[in-house]
Amino acid sequence: MKKKRVSKKRNPMIGILWVVAVVVLMAELLVYTWCRVQYVQTGYEITEATQEHLHLKELYSKLKIERARLRSPERITRIARQRGLVMPDSKQVVVIP
Amino acid sequence: MRSRSKKKSKPLKWIRFRIIVVGAALGVCFALMMGRAFQLQVIEGEQLRSKAVGQYKKALHNCSKRGSIYDRNRAELAVSIDLSSICAYPGKISSTKKTASALARTLNMKRRPVLEKLLSGKRFVWIKRHADPTEVSQVRDLELDGIDFVTESRRFYPLKSLAAQVIGFCGMDGRGLEGLEFYYDSFLKGRETNRTVLRDALGRGFNAKGPSPEGKPGHNLILTIDKNIQYITEQALSEGVMEFWAKSGIALVIAPRTGAVLAMAHVPRFNPNSFGQYEPWSWRNRAITDSFEPGSTLKIFLSAAALESGACNPRSAFYCEDGAYRIGKNVVHDVRPHAELSLQDILKYSSNIGAAKVGEKVGAAYLYNKLKEFGLGERLGVDCPGEIRGSLLRVGDWTEIDTVAISFGQGLSVSALQLAAAVSAIANDGILMKPYLVQGMTDVQGRIIKSFQPTVLRQVISSENAWRLTRMMERTVEKGGTGVRAALRGHRVVGKTGTAQKADPARRGYSKDKYISSFVGFVPAENPEIVVLVIVDEPQKHHYGGVVAAPVFRRIIRETLRYLKVPPELATPEFTGPGRGNKREGQRRPGETLRVSYEAPAMG
Repeated sequence: MKKKRVSKKRNPMIGILWVVAVVVLMAELLVYTWCRVQYVQTGYEITEATQEHLHLKELYSKLKIERARLRSPERITRIARQRGLVMPDSKQVVVIP
Repeated sequence: MRSRSKKKSKPLKWIRFRIIVVGAALGVCFALMMGRAFQLQVIEGEQLRSKAVGQYKKALHNCSKRGSIYDRNRAELAVSIDLSSICAYPGKISSTKKTASALARTLNMKRRPVLEKLLSGKRFVWIKRHADPTEVSQVRDLELDGIDFVTESRRFYPLKSLAAQVIGFCGMDGRGLEGLEFYYDSFLKGRETNRTVLRDALGRGFNAKGPSPEGKPGHNLILTIDKNIQYITEQALSEGVMEFWAKSGIALVIAPRTGAVLAMAHVPRFNPNSFGQYEPWSWRNRAITDSFEPGSTLKIFLSAAALESGACNPRSAFYCEDGAYRIGKNVVHDVRPHAELSLQDILKYSSNIGAAKVGEKVGAAYLYNKLKEFGLGERLGVDCPGEIRGSLLRVGDWTEIDTVAISFGQGLSVSALQLAAAVSAIANDGILMKPYLVQGMTDVQGRIIKSFQPTVLRQVISSENAWRLTRMMERTVEKGGTGVRAALRGHRVVGKTGTAQKADPARRGYSKDKYISSFVGFVPAENPEIVVLVIVDEPQKHHYGGVVAAPVFRRIIRETLRYLKVPPELATPEFTGPGRGNKREGQRRPGETLRVSYEAPAMG
């Protein structure tokens, strides 16, 4: 006896739903991956910015030292003497009240 | 039918057999995988996890930055900078000899010590600590195996030797070894911290977690020292020491109203950036750690005791024995013989015999108590390490000659700081202030964490007697006084000279040719801004305080008053001085200008 095949008519919506589900999953995967990449990238940027900040602070510190060295009374006195400057006599000092 | 079914079942069996074989093989593989997974995840899981963490996580040890030290106008006196040190892991070096040669050539070092370090068998050795940036860059370019660079903080003193003995210095490890660096080490040094950094395959760090990469920085110190006054004082003292070929010198400038130390100078000086090149004794803050016999400067406190006891007034007369006064086996001499001198003239001419007689009149017990009240023979509690007490015998141990000797400054010792603080009490209406060097602490953002206020220790003498004493001391700087070389045009200067013979342990007595010359005083007389003490140790050409120390004092006050914009009290260009007899002694009239003609100092 030959079996009769009963052909079922598939609902087209199911296929669409599958496609949508796959697309959503793929999109989610892509977004997640993008987020991870951004996270790592931001991590690098933060590290770079921190390094830059440290570098600038160190530079600032060195400039402060340089300023202190340049403002040294010993250096200023030496330059003043080289240019012929002398301490004023008390008669030369006029105190403005 | 049966034969057909037999034919059909044979391939079916084969297929089943193959399915079973493949299934079994896959099952075995799966079982192996599961077993391996179990081994990796469960049995060796912890160990492998830590190994993996070690590859992508890096623990960083953050050395904290030491706080800076500023002067009272926030000028940097001591700061920390980051420098790279070059180190080596000898086990990782492929060619030790070549590496040693390359390092020695680049770092301008001898090859042998470098090679010895690399062959020492240690896992880690320093090649050069705190190397120059150019040297570090050159060594980096060599790309040597097993050579690494460590960033370390190094203390730097931009003003070099300025106030070096006060500030002190730090060792290679960043710990304070001397001075304020040592005393405030726990505040200056920060807290070291640890943080974790994730690394990628290339070893680049990212996404650091934990505290700031700089650790927890230390607090900054704001000193009472003024770098300009310090410089003026150091320069004047250096010139004085050089002029008289002296062994050393100390000078102090104190604000008498607060006790703030504006300058504390020492000669010889040293550069704390390379302290190892100097003698260790030159590192010491001798104004605080060393004591000396004050000599005639002690007559100030004797006079204070005499006035305060009520036994004398400035005009009380004493017979000065024409220059020689015998007490038992001892004879006290004056430089110049005097017949009779008033108390104020004893101070003016610095008569030892007069002082001895004043001491006898005041009495040992009263004098002892007054000296103690002035802070002599006791620590004042200054915020600096190694403060010395000085020596002042208990009054019960004083003999008759001790009372006499102490009256003119022998038989006791004081530190320079004690002497300056005691004179500050006279300039401050008789109130003794605690001297201090640090006025505050700030955090890394500059916010004040702690501030130190002036501290009153006690009222030593009455305000009236302080003013009387001021007038008496002012006469020392007048014509005929021992301190004329300290006089300054336009200002009323108050002071006292001191010349003390140094003890000679070999002779068990006083040396004949070693002296300490000193001058202590304050200015302006009406409203004192600064108290200055100058001590010159073992001057060679002359030894009198009025000749050696007074000119140094004069230069310090001249330039400091100009710097502080203190106008001359006496407006006329001619020398004018304190009036005598135009107002009752001891009566202070603030704002009153005394203008009586005054001759210019003969020697000044």
